[in-house]
Amino acid sequence: MSNELAARMQTGISLGFHIIFAVLGVGLPLLLLIAEGLGLRYRDATWYTLARRWSKAFAILFVTGAVSGTVLSFEFGLLWPRFMGFSTAVIGLPFALEGFMFFLEAIFLGLYLYGWDRLSPLAHWLCSIPIAVAGAASTWFIVTVNSWMNTPAGFTLVNGKPANIDPIAAMLNPSTPFETTHMLLAAFEATGFGVAAVYALFLLWGRRDAYIVRGMRLGLIVGSVVAPFQILVGDLSARGVAETQPAKLAAMEALFQTTKGAALHIYGWPDVAQRKLIGPVEIPKLLSWLVTGDPNATVQGLDATPVADWPAVTVVHFAFDTMVGIGFFLAFVAALYWGQYLYRRLVRKQRDAGPLNRLTLLCVLVSGPLTFVAIELGWITTEIGRQPWIIYNVMRISEAPTSAPGVVAFFVTFLVVYVALFTAAALLLSRMARSGPAGDQEEAEREALTV
Amino acid sequence: MSAPPFAYANAVMILLGLIAYATLGGADFGGGVWDLLASGPNKRRERAAIASAIGPVWEANNVWLIFVIVVTWTAFPLVYATVSTALFFPVALALVGIVMRGAAFGFRAHVREATRSATTWGVVFSVTSVVTPFMLGTIAGALATGDIRVIGDTVIVNYWTVWTAPFPLACGAFALSMCATLAATYLTVEAHNEDDVALVAVFQKRAMVAGAVTAAIGLVAALLTYLEAPVLWRGLFGQALPATLLAMGLGLATAVALILSAYRIARVLVAAMVALIFVAWGVAQYPYLVVPDLTLANTASPAITQELTFFSLLIGCALLAPSLYALLRVFKGRNPVVQRGESAEAFVSATMSRQGAQPGHMRAPGGEDGRTAPTTDAATGDGKRDGRMSASDVRSGGGQKPSGTRSEQAAQPARGAAPGGQADLLTDERARERQAQWMVLGVSVALAIIVPVARQVWRWLWEARTRARVDREILRELEA
Repeated sequence: MSNELAARMQTGISLGFHIIFAVLGVGLPLLLLIAEGLGLRYRDATWYTLARRWSKAFAILFVTGAVSGTVLSFEFGLLWPRFMGFSTAVIGLPFALEGFMFFLEAIFLGLYLYGWDRLSPLAHWLCSIPIAVAGAASTWFIVTVNSWMNTPAGFTLVNGKPANIDPIAAMLNPSTPFETTHMLLAAFEATGFGVAAVYALFLLWGRRDAYIVRGMRLGLIVGSVVAPFQILVGDLSARGVAETQPAKLAAMEALFQTTKGAALHIYGWPDVAQRKLIGPVEIPKLLSWLVTGDPNATVQGLDATPVADWPAVTVVHFAFDTMVGIGFFLAFVAALYWGQYLYRRLVRKQRDAGPLNRLTLLCVLVSGPLTFVAIELGWITTEIGRQPWIIYNVMRISEAPTSAPGVVAFFVTFLVVYVALFTAAALLLSRMARSGPAGDQEEAEREALTV
Repeated sequence: MSAPPFAYANAVMILLGLIAYATLGGADFGGGVWDLLASGPNKRRERAAIASAIGPVWEANNVWLIFVIVVTWTAFPLVYATVSTALFFPVALALVGIVMRGAAFGFRAHVREATRSATTWGVVFSVTSVVTPFMLGTIAGALATGDIRVIGDTVIVNYWTVWTAPFPLACGAFALSMCATLAATYLTVEAHNEDDVALVAVFQKRAMVAGAVTAAIGLVAALLTYLEAPVLWRGLFGQALPATLLAMGLGLATAVALILSAYRIARVLVAAMVALIFVAWGVAQYPYLVVPDLTLANTASPAITQELTFFSLLIGCALLAPSLYALLRVFKGRNPVVQRGESAEAFVSATMSRQGAQPGHMRAPGGEDGRTAPTTDAATGDGKRDGRMSASDVRSGGGQKPSGTRSEQAAQPARGAAPGGQADLLTDERARERQAQWMVLGVSVALAIIVPVARQVWRWLWEARTRARVDREILRELEA
């Protein structure tokens, strides 16, 4: 295995791992904030129960997200020193700002998790606000870096080195508005549906406590509010990509020839050698309309790009189509749930919406993991779609990796560590969900020891 | 070639970040070392004290490292790229340590005590707490040896011997024992706060021993600089001599304070000593960042990046300072319970028992309130572990809670409501606390206003200066 391949695989796996926990670390504070706020406002034990359970799960998720984030900050330098040496003078600033936001999040998380018996109820609730805000802000900052890699701005190349640097312009590059929004909404959507899915599972198993019902409902509220917006923002993203990275859009749609009035192709098998898409579902003129608003507009195909600069068309096309499909499925699940809920409350005038039918619950259950699949696929679309560039049209992946020996060993070690971490976190969370608060008891014992 | 003015400011920020990481995060590593070395009759209590001391703050402390890294790569990109290439192995090992350690500590807090998984996580936590500071120390040592050469953009280095030479290894050992000293000294204060006399004695002794070991290793390392890091040698006993001597003096003062049982003073002194060691090192190595090829001047980012970084650091710190103050105040203050009226915990318990008394309103709230009950009533505890409770369980559990809370308060007068005699003292302290809080708030608001204004003014001045210089040059050219 070459250094480049090992470095790419390691970065990909690290990011794919980190993103799951990072997303939950951004989304869960919002749910905590709402649940604890309701508990405080109405003096309601059920909301408090939810808030405390989630805060325990959040502690584990945050730890995992934090350590995997620390890994990334080292890894970028360890694996891609030439990329970092080139780009951090331009785009280092958002990293620093993200660091501060992460700092704030960690501080208030410490207060929140350990402050139950040291803060007043209001102060404790207030601590959840900076956690949610700082989490969202750190997502924004870090995604600006990725959008800069897609559409570099804020410098000019002089003798292969960046000059005339403007870090603010680099942060506010053309991709920033939609890429950051798309990621933030994804975080909230995934958390909402993910939480709802856990409680849907309990409901399917026949448990029907007040707190399970409310937990699912709150998750679905957050998820359903976001789902339709996410589709709109996704559409805006695709338009932005068409404008700034035509090769990526062509790969996403597997559009080999530049076409006037291009059709939207759903799935199909891209035959790269023959430059053909085999057996797609075709919707005439839709792609042109989606991208430009004019059904007869010309959309640039892959033929406008030298073959050496093509991304892996098959991967990008499948990842993109599946992500879009999941996005629509989530909106459908939200509509299904709320349709049923409102029908029972308004038409049948039931006080309680009662048990939902199993099909709806199954859909909610499936939607949980699917949102995370969608996030990974979206990530794959944007990252593989940028290949072979590490900084679009500026630096190739092959120019960036480290020359140090031992990269492959490093990769294997980290693979093992990550598998162990993931398994441990998953086991802990599932045990926590099933059997309740082991942490609480330990805390009580510790308290008893110190008294 | 000279660096942009703010490069110096950012270098100072990096040094301050390193000091914060060493004094706060270093102590967390040291906690892990003592967790590993815990022995004797107080073993369980020691580990519990360490865990409760680290718990609320370690994630915030860990972020200082990220702070240092991101500021380094923004302000001095080439240094970061060089370090992570040349010192690939120690950095990678430190990284594995950081990851495993954080995860292990976080996970251990959430599994039941005295089970096999808790023990496993405990071992992982303490072993990685030893490895990580050692590796970070070797990295620092390797930077000073002059074995990392950078010609153009190419790093020339022996990947193995660069960090396994005697001096880097001595630095690793020094960092490790320094962390252990810090942690033991801090823990005396924690134990003192809990009125645990036996633990205070244990940690006092350990702090003294670790301090002596640190001094010995420090001496060896200082002698090794003569052989392997001449730049550092000349600096430490030349331009940085005052700081070096002061650090040594503070080390002795810490020992005296420990002997006199002045634990709070010892805590301040030992932190100051660590800070001065970093200052001495920084001053001694100036202007080199990586000896001998990379200096502050030839690796600094352009002026605009430096300037923006510095001002965003200031604004960030204005946000950070009050939050960090609150965190340390709540968990590490003299009278750590900051509450007027009831705590969130009491509020939740009251809410739960209030609703528990009305069966039907809420069905089976789960076992979230196991905090006080299991120690007093094992049967209820088991029921709660199950996660499901009947309504009668809720009622009996709820009934116990207020009394449990009260007895806890009675056992710990310092934490609960103060009896009459101390009331004045407490109000006094609260008034001072409030004053301090207002001051911190005022300073941060002032900073948030002053910094942007100052930045604008500075820009005007800079532009005016540049213009004047250009004018002068034009004049000179005209004259010529």
